[in-house]
Amino acid sequence: MRSADVTGAASGADGRTKRRRYADPDRRRLTRRGLLGLPALLFVGVFLLYPLALLIETSFQAKTGEWSLEQYARIATTPVYGLIVWKTAWIAGLVTLIDFLVGYPFAVALSRARGWWRLVLLAAILMPFWTNLLVRAYGWIVILHPNGLVNMLLIRLGLISEPIELVQNTTGVLIGMVQIMLPYMVLPIAAQIGKMDRRLLNAARSLGASAPRTFLHVYFPLTLPGVFAGALVTLVLSLGFFVIPALLGGRRDVLIAQLIDFNLTKVLNWEFAAALGTLLLVATMGLFLAAQRWFRLESLWTEAR
Amino acid sequence: MTGSILRRPSAPSRRALLKGAAASLVLAPMPLRLARAADGEVVYATWGGSWAEAMRKAWFEPFTQQTGIKVRTIDGPDYGKIRAMVRANNTEWDIAEVNPDFQWIGPREGLLEKLDFSVIPTDHLIKGENLLTDYSLPEAFWSRVIAYNTKKFPKDNHPKDFAEFWDTARFPGKRVMYSKANGGVIEAALLADGVPVDKLYPLDLDRALKKLDKLKDATLWYETNAQAVQYLQDEQGVLGLVADGRVKFIQEKGAPVEIEYQQSQLTWTSYVVIKGAPNRANAMKLLASMTSLEGQKAIGMAYTYGLVAPKAYDLLPPGRAEMLSNGPQQQGKTVLMNEKWWGENLEKAQEKLDAWRLS
Repeated sequence: MRSADVTGAASGADGRTKRRRYADPDRRRLTRRGLLGLPALLFVGVFLLYPLALLIETSFQAKTGEWSLEQYARIATTPVYGLIVWKTAWIAGLVTLIDFLVGYPFAVALSRARGWWRLVLLAAILMPFWTNLLVRAYGWIVILHPNGLVNMLLIRLGLISEPIELVQNTTGVLIGMVQIMLPYMVLPIAAQIGKMDRRLLNAARSLGASAPRTFLHVYFPLTLPGVFAGALVTLVLSLGFFVIPALLGGRRDVLIAQLIDFNLTKVLNWEFAAALGTLLLVATMGLFLAAQRWFRLESLWTEAR
Repeated sequence: MTGSILRRPSAPSRRALLKGAAASLVLAPMPLRLARAADGEVVYATWGGSWAEAMRKAWFEPFTQQTGIKVRTIDGPDYGKIRAMVRANNTEWDIAEVNPDFQWIGPREGLLEKLDFSVIPTDHLIKGENLLTDYSLPEAFWSRVIAYNTKKFPKDNHPKDFAEFWDTARFPGKRVMYSKANGGVIEAALLADGVPVDKLYPLDLDRALKKLDKLKDATLWYETNAQAVQYLQDEQGVLGLVADGRVKFIQEKGAPVEIEYQQSQLTWTSYVVIKGAPNRANAMKLLASMTSLEGQKAIGMAYTYGLVAPKAYDLLPPGRAEMLSNGPQQQGKTVLMNEKWWGENLEKAQEKLDAWRLS
């Protein structure tokens, strides 16, 4: 059976020999490449899957240790938790959308930049990325508060007469999270653009397509795996975000991560915290599986056609 | 010929490197473990920062000089970590400084050792409800106070108690309050609503939340003390219910804030000894040393927290006592928090407060 593409492996110099070894589908699994993956699998199994299994087990316990659904019942029946989950999902979704709208043009610019300008754009994305998160959060408070930089500038320019509330509310949370998640959106998109076969664009133009049409029907669809990867990472990270909502948020910005932290470290209700965490995990896994099935996510780490 | 120079390192030497790395990873923790068994020491989990430095100067170094026992500090007495350590039968800490709610949460979860009162004298310690339990010793007093912006509210026209704190007509502007239910906001609301101090507990949560409705749009909620004083310093908040030590800190830096001590909410931090502590006997000795009159005088000179031994205030030089929490300037104006009630009701109260916040 000649399925040279299934394993994604490039054929070796001695193509004929390699092909014979890989021809048998059962033996393919026991090849060296599979064994190479074994240490990583063991590591993930012991340090990730086992603790996760314990977490999920804990979520199904009552305070006394016996098997119970009461933690999930509490989440389902107490209105405040439904509100918090909804609020978290809403903010995470909004952050992802805004990051896409801001990040996509940035990624296009980044992929076309050359030399000195490219360095500037990369620095703009990466340097905040490497700065401590708490420092950035407090920095945003200083910039956004009523007597801060942004308000002062807007008043000086005469655009507003009274300071506007940019922090200690959902606006502040959004601004902070959008900026912090931006690299996670930009970098996968830029990577996908980098893998694009430019000749396809030329072909479209030469066949008579206008620039906007080329963009819409050729360029953009080719970048979609990168877009979905970036969106997925941004969404998943935003769901669990803690620092920014806590510091920049207002009265109504109570998100699920703060709840988990409270139960885990303040009241030691680990069973309830585990239930909240498992909920978050299931939501994240669901998103990932959806992305895998519908958006050909795996094309992100295989070679370009 | 050139090929041999450019050839990549041969496989055996790479393997040897990996073997060496693996071996060193295994052996690396061992010297540390041997060192721990040899010296007498106490492991102290602290919130760190300038407080930890003050403790080191006032308590740990004199203790080591007197007894030869070293004190090693760890940052971050996280309740979750304590529970994990005890459950794994691998307690690495001896003493932890904790918030008083842990005096009840800890024993309930089976996480603490009973204190050895044959080693630790307690007669000279301050008397008060819930301050001393079988499992805990009070460490230091501090209070949450009304902090007000002096530019907006001069000394003769500032909120003098929580009823006035709630008066947004007379004192407009944002108030800064802690988002945790046991951060004083419930007691403040009830006191503002006219509940007498001796009828405060058990707290009427619904009444407090109704009172909080009046401040719904005029409050900045903070998660950390640093955030709270940042708001006061930037003058985003003109009134606040904040820890007294922090307000004094930014006052020194020139922030336009002043403290009103009336109805200040007095609370404390405690020492606990963790179940399975590796140096239990040494820990008891350290506790006795820290709560002795000399120990209390030393910490009073090094930091501004309140002392737990009343007679130690007399040992301080003139003027110093007024700078400490629960010092003479505050006597008769404090409301002692019922941390036992909080130890039992924190979870339920936080749930209600969160629901109110989202409404």
